[in-house]
Amino acid sequence: MATSLPLRTLLPIAVLAAVLVMGLAQSLTLWSSFELQLSDLLPLLGFDTDSGDTLAQQLMLELRLPRTLVAALIGANLAVAGVQVQALTRNPLASPTLLGINAGAACMIALAMSGLFGLAALPLPLQALIGGTFSALLVLALGGYFQARPNPVRLILAGIAVTALLAGLTRAALILSEDMAYSMLHWLAGSLAQTGWDSWHRLWPFSLVGLGLALALSHAFNLLALGDDAALGLGIRIHWVRRLAAVSVILLCAAGVAAAGPIAFVGLLVPHLCRRLFGQDHRLLIPLAALTGAAFLVWADLLSRGVAFPAETPVGVITALLGTPFFILLAARSRT
Amino acid sequence: MRLSILWLLCGALLLSTLLSVTLGAVHLPLAQVWQALIQGGSDDFIINQYRLPRALLAILVGAGLGLSGTLVQGVIRNPLASPDLMGISAGAGLAATAVILFLPAAVHWLPLAAVVGGLGAALLIYALARQYQPAPARLALTGIAVSAFLTSLIDFLLIIHPVELNNALIWLTGSLWGRSWEQIPLLGVGLALLIPLAMRLAWRLDICALGEQSAVSLGARPKALQIQALLLAVILASLSVCVAGTISFVGLLAPHFARLLCGGHHRLLIPVSALSGALLVSAADLIARILQPPLELPVGVVTAIIGAPYFIFLLLRYKGW
Repeated sequence: MATSLPLRTLLPIAVLAAVLVMGLAQSLTLWSSFELQLSDLLPLLGFDTDSGDTLAQQLMLELRLPRTLVAALIGANLAVAGVQVQALTRNPLASPTLLGINAGAACMIALAMSGLFGLAALPLPLQALIGGTFSALLVLALGGYFQARPNPVRLILAGIAVTALLAGLTRAALILSEDMAYSMLHWLAGSLAQTGWDSWHRLWPFSLVGLGLALALSHAFNLLALGDDAALGLGIRIHWVRRLAAVSVILLCAAGVAAAGPIAFVGLLVPHLCRRLFGQDHRLLIPLAALTGAAFLVWADLLSRGVAFPAETPVGVITALLGTPFFILLAARSRT
Repeated sequence: MRLSILWLLCGALLLSTLLSVTLGAVHLPLAQVWQALIQGGSDDFIINQYRLPRALLAILVGAGLGLSGTLVQGVIRNPLASPDLMGISAGAGLAATAVILFLPAAVHWLPLAAVVGGLGAALLIYALARQYQPAPARLALTGIAVSAFLTSLIDFLLIIHPVELNNALIWLTGSLWGRSWEQIPLLGVGLALLIPLAMRLAWRLDICALGEQSAVSLGARPKALQIQALLLAVILASLSVCVAGTISFVGLLAPHFARLLCGGHHRLLIPVSALSGALLVSAADLIARILQPPLELPVGVVTAIIGAPYFIFLLLRYKGW
């Protein structure tokens, strides 16, 4: 960026960075049945410390660190996906959850678990990808997105109907296949409780591609906001932008669902917050939304562990509690 | 001809009830069922304590939800409105969950708490609608948003108080599992009182469908009528929820089905929609039980799988964007 950022943008960025770092530190150490300190991370960095509690070090390395990293990355994924969906549909209500992407991914994973169509042979993220793609296309088609004048409310209502259908199918598949209700209830609500390094390894390649694509497209999103005709006149190949953005959104969401289940409303809340704070320039908005999303989900995960300590609350329940009042406000305000 | 529809629905309902009493994990032929009904015997428990009350409850719950949906749609004049999409069911569910978890001693007040919760949700929607004056489709969206918020509160309460997961799951999706004769008087008496009240509102609802000005000039008071009808709708939906949890889409589907069968006159629409709702829940519960016995699905899952595509169909046909 050629021009330097104004103070009213820099200040929120600084606060945001501080919030994220604090969240990461707290998430690593707080709410543990054992005493944990940040210094327990030192062996990972190559420092040889003979002193120190090996149990704490183990906990830190095997449980806390991957969980915190996964939370941050999923938060970033969902927020960036939300920004892109809203930019593509020019619909302030659009978000990965409300378009049924998360529900589709979860449904496909549940169907695969129940042994349908031999889907279980596919790797988990791929199942989520197929489900998310399918349901997103269904919602877009039913919601009239491909028509001349798409109606924002219709798109969202279609998304909600498809989500209800998929959620019903998911529950049916789970109940009829196996008696694992409790863990599945947690997973369906979106939980980070079972994340380890394997989740992280499943997550980061997809996220890297998705976030990279989003960053590369950020300039095109700015032009797209001027309207299709103007964007076309400025030399943007709209169809390619749409397709690539759709690929990025689905990669980001599906990877998240495969790692932690469907986590709702991050993709709705964070983009709106960021637009307020940092303006409409997508070149700035996308990286900052990633940071905000990461901070938001890390703190939400922290809250989800603390609220009924030592029991775990699925983080998706917390994000839904924080996000739905905001959704009510957006839905009721009739500015179309 | 119109009356024959009523008889037809009653026949279908009877058939569905007979099937639910005979089919299940243990198949009992009708003769055996009859014997158990008359003199008890070896099948007494299955028939009299398990299947019969459940079949009756399905009918009562469905009738309450169907009627509630008709009243809501009649008053708001919005084809996308229904007690569960307007958050009423979720409000009632939240209040009932809170009572079960925090005041287990006051469990006798459960129906009252559910009604209060349903009313609270309805008032919230009403306040939002007054504030923002949304178009019909957006009002439906607002209701869904409120419903999502209340549902996430229910989830939250259930998950931080993991007392009994089975109960929790029932509240999450609506189920008729494990119900007995205890709940039947409540709903039966409620319906017996409320259906005549709804019938008394029927002609005024018809007048109101002509528009507010015509209604006033014909001697109906639209505001008072709206309040009475919505109050009835909230009570009906809340009682159903407090017995069976939130069974989604019945309140949307049944009135549409009824209108398709017998047109828009509420005198006929009210009983027909109650019967359609009863038939829907009864059939859905039958499917939920016999799909893969002895495992069974919550009936709310089956109604969602039937109802969500219909909601999509409504959206595709809806012209008032």
